[in-house]
Amino acid sequence: MTGVLALERVTRDFGDRRALDEVSFEVRPGRTTGFVGANGAGKTTAMRIVMGVLAATAGEVTLGGRPLTREVRRTFGYMPEERGLYPRMRVLDQLVYLGRVYGLSASQARAHSEEMLERLGLSERGHDLLQTLSLGNQQRVQVAAALMHDPVLLVLDEPFSGLDPLAIDAMGEQLRERAASGVPVLFSSHQLELVEQLCDDVVIIDDGRVVAAGSADELRARRGGRRYRVEVDVPPGTDLATLVDAVPGARLVSVDGATVLVELDDSADDQVLLAAAQRLGTLRELARVRPTLAEIFREVVR
Amino acid sequence: MSAPTTKPTAEPTAEPVRSQAGAWRSIGVVAGREIAVKLRDKAFIGSTVFMLLLVTAATLIPILLQQQTPSVRVAVQGAGAAEVVDAAAVLGRDAQESGTALPPALAVFGVGGLPAADITSVEVEPGGDVERLVLDGDVDAAVVGDDIAQLTVLGAEGVPDELDVLLRAASSQLQVQRAADEAGLTAEQMASLTSPVMPEIELLAASPTGVVPPELLVLVFAFLFYLSVLTFGMSIAQSVVEEKQSRVIELLVAALPVRWLLAGKVLGNTLMALGQIVVILGAGLLGATAAGQGELVSQVLAASGWFIVFFLLGFVMLACLWAVAGSLASRIEDLQATTVVMQVLVIVPFFAALFAMDPGPLQRLLSYVPFTAPLLMPARVVLGNAAPWEPPLSALLVLATGVLFVIIGARLYEGSLMHTSARSSVKQAWRGTR
Repeated sequence: MTGVLALERVTRDFGDRRALDEVSFEVRPGRTTGFVGANGAGKTTAMRIVMGVLAATAGEVTLGGRPLTREVRRTFGYMPEERGLYPRMRVLDQLVYLGRVYGLSASQARAHSEEMLERLGLSERGHDLLQTLSLGNQQRVQVAAALMHDPVLLVLDEPFSGLDPLAIDAMGEQLRERAASGVPVLFSSHQLELVEQLCDDVVIIDDGRVVAAGSADELRARRGGRRYRVEVDVPPGTDLATLVDAVPGARLVSVDGATVLVELDDSADDQVLLAAAQRLGTLRELARVRPTLAEIFREVVR
Repeated sequence: MSAPTTKPTAEPTAEPVRSQAGAWRSIGVVAGREIAVKLRDKAFIGSTVFMLLLVTAATLIPILLQQQTPSVRVAVQGAGAAEVVDAAAVLGRDAQESGTALPPALAVFGVGGLPAADITSVEVEPGGDVERLVLDGDVDAAVVGDDIAQLTVLGAEGVPDELDVLLRAASSQLQVQRAADEAGLTAEQMASLTSPVMPEIELLAASPTGVVPPELLVLVFAFLFYLSVLTFGMSIAQSVVEEKQSRVIELLVAALPVRWLLAGKVLGNTLMALGQIVVILGAGLLGATAAGQGELVSQVLAASGWFIVFFLLGFVMLACLWAVAGSLASRIEDLQATTVVMQVLVIVPFFAALFAMDPGPLQRLLSYVPFTAPLLMPARVVLGNAAPWEPPLSALLVLATGVLFVIIGARLYEGSLMHTSARSSVKQAWRGTR
């Protein structure tokens, strides 16, 4: 059982540019954590620091409360953003080699590699050079390289990019399976719908700072504020937008035909909104709206 | 009775030992890949086989040529001709049996002994068309005449060199003999006339002699070193940049300290380079042994000890810098630019060493300069002008430079390895932290 992976006030400078500014978040065992942010926000830098590929200028990364050592990192599964395997090496040979680099014995490495290829349906391609495989299959070999040594933690940088929809499903399944077995899984992605679907936890990073982190549900509840969609059939001549005038602390977000989106602040009473809507016309619907991750993202990253 | 368990106290002390073993194991794994890749590399196998063939051919062909006794068919017409050709055949056979025959090339100039040859005479009746026989190629040459002092040698485009020399010798011997007989000289007087005693030559500052001139041996060694450092150095640089360009480096660096990676690469390629040299030298020596050239074998073996020591030190000294040259590039196309300094560092010493082949202060100086020492110090040993304490001292200098380069190289390698976007400068690499 792996402990919690924690980044504590991790800072990284590249020359004068500060890529990460006191970044702190946790990746908990048994959960998948989605790492989202705009291009250049610092996702890859943070993941490289976790893997020890880059050093932090300040701050610390710990696993189960202990600082990470190379020996511990060797037990991590890593998929770098820019995929990396030897193009002119046979598929099986390079998995065995990487397995041995991760510290497996020669026989273990061979057994695990063969098993991984079998599971990915690439058994008969084991003796081909990597560069002769299709891009999709190369990606699968990359997955095999990240998973072959039964890692205690997964760090995957954009694992879904370049995959077809079926492969995305398979990859998602893999991640959930690994998380369910107690492995903390951290992955980054630009596909917010996918993150929303897959993730238990979300970390949003913007310009080197963590702007939101926590369980996805909590985040939606907290970040969404109190937003309501109200559908009212109003008599001709009545402006639906006047609804908010009758409710103290309400703000109009948008109007679309017979539907308005209203946001209430902490002082506002949703029952007042209900009464006001009924007064205005025939109330068809009044519902609390939970924002999607994409909406939260757009809101916090501006 | 249960013995007190020592396990808990033993565990903490076992920790550093394990990580040490991990280092060697990991370096071994990296070196193993370098070797496996090389062994599968068709270009490497091809060049090794080619060099093997070249060396085998180079040792075997001259020996075969040298041992082949030329056989010559000579048409003979007339009593005098028969007498001279018979005498020439005896001389040729004697030279062959005594084994003192000179290589044909030297025999032509009439230096010392006589060439070995297998002369067959074909008798032609008086009036027979000797010229036709020669022109048709039935015989290599013809000797015509009744008086030994008035013979004509007929050849088509030329007369074989061996035959020419042997016929002259035989004819002059017979004529001297005839003159001596007519003058009524004793057998001893005649012997001193026909085979005078040559002065004995004594060298006061003899250099070691061998079957092969030592200069040639040095040249072969120098060339092997030069070729090996250049090809394997380039292959180290390529292997480094391949990992950078394909981004495998990120996976490797996450699991291994960069120094281990560097050490593994240098180790693997050094082993392969050394293996290739040993195989090539071995093939040459085997070929020479098979051809019965024991003297050549012992000469080369005696010289190759220091050569291999200096080869190893010189190779490792430069290998780390080759890895740095590779790490400064970000793609294969940049290699030409980043390795140019290295190529100069190999080529200039090679030519400097060639120019300093003659013993003198320059050679002495260069045999201590770390870049030229691997070429010149073994050369001085082979040429026999190095004091016994000189090679170890020079080797130490190369070793010290090697250690320095390894330290500098490891830092530059570490500093530039993760800069995958563009070519790095040495300055950036030196300052660069991961």
